[in-house]
Amino acid sequence: MGKADRISGTFWFLFSVFVGYHSYRLGLGTLRMPGPGFLFFWTAIFIAVLSLIDMGRSLKEAREEAKAGTAGRSNVTKVVLVVLSLFLYVVLIERLGFVLVTLLLFLFLLAVIERKKWSFAVVVSVIVTALSYLVFEAALKSQLPKGLLGSLQF
Amino acid sequence: MDLLHNVAYGFGVAMQPLNLLYCFFGVLIGTLVGVLPGLGPAAAIALLLPATFKFTPVAATIMLSGIFYGAMYGGSTTSILVNIPGEAASVVTCLDGHQMALKGRAGPALGIAAFGSFIAGTFSVIALTVVGPLLANLALAFGPPEYFSLMIVGITVLTFLSSASMLRALMMAGVGLIISAVGMDTISGQFRFTFGIDGLLDGIGVVPVAMGLFGISEVLLNLETEIKREILATRVKNLFPSLRDWALSIWAIVRGSLLGFFLGIIPGGGAVIASFASYAIEKRISKHPGEFGKGAIQGVAGPEAANNAAAGGSFIPLLTLGIPANPVMAILLGALMIHGLQPGPLLMQTAPDLFWGTIVSMYMGNGMLLVLNLPLIPLWVKVLKVPYYLLYPLILLFCMIGAYSLQNNTADMIMMLVFGILGFLMKKFRYEGAPLILALVLGQKLETSLRRSLIMSFGDFSIFVSRPISLAFLLIAFALVILPIITQRNKLAALEEESQI
Repeated sequence: MGKADRISGTFWFLFSVFVGYHSYRLGLGTLRMPGPGFLFFWTAIFIAVLSLIDMGRSLKEAREEAKAGTAGRSNVTKVVLVVLSLFLYVVLIERLGFVLVTLLLFLFLLAVIERKKWSFAVVVSVIVTALSYLVFEAALKSQLPKGLLGSLQF
Repeated sequence: MDLLHNVAYGFGVAMQPLNLLYCFFGVLIGTLVGVLPGLGPAAAIALLLPATFKFTPVAATIMLSGIFYGAMYGGSTTSILVNIPGEAASVVTCLDGHQMALKGRAGPALGIAAFGSFIAGTFSVIALTVVGPLLANLALAFGPPEYFSLMIVGITVLTFLSSASMLRALMMAGVGLIISAVGMDTISGQFRFTFGIDGLLDGIGVVPVAMGLFGISEVLLNLETEIKREILATRVKNLFPSLRDWALSIWAIVRGSLLGFFLGIIPGGGAVIASFASYAIEKRISKHPGEFGKGAIQGVAGPEAANNAAAGGSFIPLLTLGIPANPVMAILLGALMIHGLQPGPLLMQTAPDLFWGTIVSMYMGNGMLLVLNLPLIPLWVKVLKVPYYLLYPLILLFCMIGAYSLQNNTADMIMMLVFGILGFLMKKFRYEGAPLILALVLGQKLETSLRRSLIMSFGDFSIFVSRPISLAFLLIAFALVILPIITQRNKLAALEEESQI
């Protein structure tokens, strides 16, 4: 984990530099009248110091990591595909509407990601979409976007 | 007499049919959430929060609270039967609970968990009834320095008790504080860290962050490393513990209740910490510590009592000080504010129906949970058998609907997904989300308290140490930061001595 710790430590160090800079620009004010950037400037410095200490510790672990074997492969592709499908869901929900997009999402997750039979995926997707519409839209009045199907007065 | 009058008033509110019904729904959903791994009470409350906008504030609070303490009951079922904790506070129950199940004693394990939870839950509600108003009166003397110092203690306690590195927990608390700054500064009116993005002008809400960090990220982690669930095939029978089981467990339940309640009150403490602490104590004082990890019933009774008592105790700082003790309370705080309420010392006066109605509803909720958890165990076992490939799309869908419903726009959905990815990466790189979310919730109030204190004192920091209550809080926080360093140094010194010998 030494290398991973150095990567994450570097990220948080750069994050704190970024925040510190913008906090300074917001204005630190004076001690009698602290400005909008006051607390966050010092918080950024605090995080920067901690990240440097953490990176320093990880250098010790780097030697031990070299001796340990690599971890087994994990299913990152699945995670990436699911995340991308969720972002697509967000992009399309107001254009296509909740019903269509939910149907498509479930079809994708069950048939493509989980590789279930298409007939199974279609049946489950329709049932889930219908039930969630009934519960959230009809019963709880969540005002979900209607999109393309809006004109059909669903 | 005032107390009795207030409790009677609370009964009047809680016994209204609609409030009773919402209490039932809350504990039922909470139990279900507790049973299902991958969806904790924080995510569940965040998901259902938008649905409660149509309810009265009292009904919403009763239902959402029921989800929280209900999840404490449900979590033990999966721990015992499947050896996978339903939620974080039931991790410890796996150690001895599942071992009892493997020895054919799943029934008594489930039974003692349920009864222990009921006793501890009832105790904590009674204690809440007595301690809550006392603390609310004390809190009227709090000014900005006291609030600032108390919130520093809260963040420090959570980082001190962090299961991973305290240094990293402090970093995440700092990140949460910075995220809380996004949006408009209430004192100067300036926009901070918005970078021209319209979606950030109103700041970053707790609910999408919580749903992302606790809901979405958990699903992504489970997708990445598939967990095989083997549910115990034997029939669960004899749910009532024997007299011997009671003799072994009763003092563990008493100790767990007291410990859990006090750990629940401290901001940053909570059910998870309480359950671990209870297990450690029971093992330490047991005459047969070797039995722990092999099916010791005290190893189930104590932690389950502790986590339920902590759940009750954690309502105290929220309702009386307006300070959330843990991330779940942070989301509940968000819920109360969305309903137009301001939790704090004056809540008892401004919304007595909510204050006393919620407390009394917890009595009834505990009774409902005892009834739900024992006879319905076969149903929960069936729920556990729902394959994960059906469960996670549903969880994702509920998260998306919940995020959209907050403000009827997609900005919160994007925020949730961004924090979902961040939460996933944080877990992979061994950073905890709890300090981040607590600091996010406390951030604005903490900053305002700091700036007001400095304005009051004309820039003199000694205001934080010259006021006794504030000084006491800061000393506690300082001790919590220094203690691990001293302990570490002593350990290193001892190791060096040994190597020289």
